[in-house]
Amino acid sequence: MLEGYLPVLMFIVVGLLVGSVAIMAGFVLGRRRPDPAKLSPYECGFEAFEDSRTKFDVRYYLVAILFIIFDLEIAFLFPWAVALHRIGVFGLAAMGLFLTILVVGFVYEWKRGALEWE
Amino acid sequence: MTFEMPDFWLALPEMFVLGMACFILVLDLFLPEERRGISYFLAQITVIGAFVSSLWVAPAGVQTTFDGMFVSDPLGTFLKLAIYVLTAGVFLYSRGYLRDRALYKGEYYVLGLFGMLGMMVIVSASSLLTIYLGLELFSLSLYAMVAFDRDSLRASEAAMKYFVLSALASGTLLYGLSLLYGLTGSLEMSQVAQFAGGHAGEHYAFVFALAFVLVGVAFKFGASPFHMWIPDVYHGAPTSVTLYLGAAPKVAAFAMAMRLLVDTLGPLQASWGPMLVVLAVLSLAVGNVVAIAQTNIKRMLAYSTISHMGFLLLGLLAGTRTGYSAALFYAVVYALMSLAAFGVVILLSRAGFEAERLGDFKGLNERSPWFAFMMLVAMFSMAGVPPTAGFYAKLAVLAAVIDVHQTWLAVVAVFFSLIGAFYYLRVVKLMYFDAPADPEPLTARLDLRVALSANGLLLLGLGIYPGLLMGWCLAALH
Amino acid sequence: MTFELFIFYLFAAVLVFAALRVVTVRNPVHAVLFLVLAFFSSAALWLLLEAEFLALVLVLVYVGAVMVLFLFVVMMLDINVAVLREGFTRYLPVGLLVGLAIVAEMGLVLVRYFVLPPGSAPKPVGPDFSNTRMLGDLLYTHYVYPFEIAAAILLVAIVAAIALTLRRRPGTKHQDPAAQIAVRRRDRVRLVRMDAEKKPE
Repeated sequence: MLEGYLPVLMFIVVGLLVGSVAIMAGFVLGRRRPDPAKLSPYECGFEAFEDSRTKFDVRYYLVAILFIIFDLEIAFLFPWAVALHRIGVFGLAAMGLFLTILVVGFVYEWKRGALEWE
Repeated sequence: MTFEMPDFWLALPEMFVLGMACFILVLDLFLPEERRGISYFLAQITVIGAFVSSLWVAPAGVQTTFDGMFVSDPLGTFLKLAIYVLTAGVFLYSRGYLRDRALYKGEYYVLGLFGMLGMMVIVSASSLLTIYLGLELFSLSLYAMVAFDRDSLRASEAAMKYFVLSALASGTLLYGLSLLYGLTGSLEMSQVAQFAGGHAGEHYAFVFALAFVLVGVAFKFGASPFHMWIPDVYHGAPTSVTLYLGAAPKVAAFAMAMRLLVDTLGPLQASWGPMLVVLAVLSLAVGNVVAIAQTNIKRMLAYSTISHMGFLLLGLLAGTRTGYSAALFYAVVYALMSLAAFGVVILLSRAGFEAERLGDFKGLNERSPWFAFMMLVAMFSMAGVPPTAGFYAKLAVLAAVIDVHQTWLAVVAVFFSLIGAFYYLRVVKLMYFDAPADPEPLTARLDLRVALSANGLLLLGLGIYPGLLMGWCLAALH
Repeated sequence: MTFELFIFYLFAAVLVFAALRVVTVRNPVHAVLFLVLAFFSSAALWLLLEAEFLALVLVLVYVGAVMVLFLFVVMMLDINVAVLREGFTRYLPVGLLVGLAIVAEMGLVLVRYFVLPPGSAPKPVGPDFSNTRMLGDLLYTHYVYPFEIAAAILLVAIVAAIALTLRRRPGTKHQDPAAQIAVRRRDRVRLVRMDAEKKPE
């Protein structure tokens, strides 16, 4: 059973190799001659006057959390789809109720304007 | 595949509340600002409908369905009815308060109803999974309600503290529940109990799981040393939400303790009894002593909650049917007292003014003798002065503790109650013997006045004639 | 040591390392990235346990969505690490004391008393066995009640997130395509009939 995942493992290993070799090559082969001017932060030629971290708008967070909720909904759909012919009408109704409740949330979201960016 | 069709009829109240909450959520989107009252009335209709349907579908005995995840028994029915009454009271009291503060939104009622649904799920849970999910549903609604006044820095801070600490407690509880599942291979409470009773060899493993479960339960009660969130959340939340937090959730916490400690880990009573003794004594001490130093009435009532939860735990730790019924009686009576006390706080508040300081109660007798009397009843009841309901509740708990030969605990409880009486009587003194600092007349709406009066009179009535409610409590625990 | 066991220890070592780095690394964004690594390694462990569906959901939901949220929150909060670290040494003794007490208690119980019932390790299942289908069989029938409560919890999460964070900003200049499309000619152009004036002589 697990043998089937060997390609996945190989894929991970190859991916790691490609990623690390590229970085290592640059690290090993590249020329480095640092001087204070090169190491100082560059902001259009004048002194940096602000922290490089700025606050993100809270709206990004709202979009992300709404995405998670519907992502979870999708995750619930997979086993349902696989087992649908075995669980029959009852399973269909169960998922129907589940989706109805979430559609209520979706209507709320839409009407409140959470999907608009202004 | 064998699958037994669940008996949906038993879950009618839950389905009704869920459906109505979704309906109100959608309808409220299409209501203009001035018709917001419709959401309020629909919320009240939902609570009343749930009350009627719970009475209607209640089976004579104990019935489980949904593959042993849902139980309908007399205890569950009684607790649900209490939760409905308290929630309806909270909605009624907080209407004017919300309207004065631009918090009068449909979401308040929707979240309140979902919180109530979570409590209902906890009450009728007979599986570790459902009790956890009910707890999450309930807590999630409450976090949002605490932060509902989103421009208030204090409310946001309170919500943050509540969320972080509560998530930690939920995690602890979940860890304990997963240990139980690992030990027994079942999520069903009755099977876990059977296994815990029959396998003395794994006793310590069960105690290990018990400790984690108990931390989660104690947090929801707000029993010391897991009480840190109570004062800040009570103080920071809008008073209407504090009202909600102080009433029905105490009944739900009792339900959680009954389901998890008695129904699931009943065979380990010899282990959790002493743990509850520690929690109870600490709560009584911390609550009553620290409350004396408070000048803010919401904080004072928060510490008083902690001490009352200590009293409630005394009834539970007795481990007898009289003990459980005394604790149940205490939970219901405490929720009513808390409703009355915070109701008076709401009554004194008006747009742009929060009656939060103790000084705001000065001379209430001159401003409104009737509501000063109602507050007097609530304070006397909390202090345990006869002939109020609080007196009988304390008496029943003490009797149950003495029944199991732990007289020293009763002595400790009485001692701390005497200390506690000081700060309750201080409020009474301010109301009756000090000159009013704020001569404004009370401007509360009629429905609040009537409900608050009924609430106060109920506390008096239950004190004079406690037999009726006590009879119900005993019958519920048959 | 079989190859499978070797893979297990490899991913377990990565998991422990990543989890340690989450709490010790200085930059909160790096901490989140280490958390991604930790989730990914635990997904690999679940795969070794033949819990394929859960492993994939862990990657899909946690690595794909929750970590994005974490990154947003970390950036949104604009955390100043230096301020956060103030008082760390002050609380360290108390924290260590409590931590040690918990470890000692747990160790005592686990070592002396915690005897798990003797059970056989689960046998590997055949290639025809589908974890996902087993979950599907149970989740929507036996566990239908918790399943629907989960829907209610998700709904409350939507309502709470929107009620607490959504704000209308007055005065923002934005396009409203619906209004643009709905525009009629008479909203924009007014034809005014003006009689020609006689040329002044």
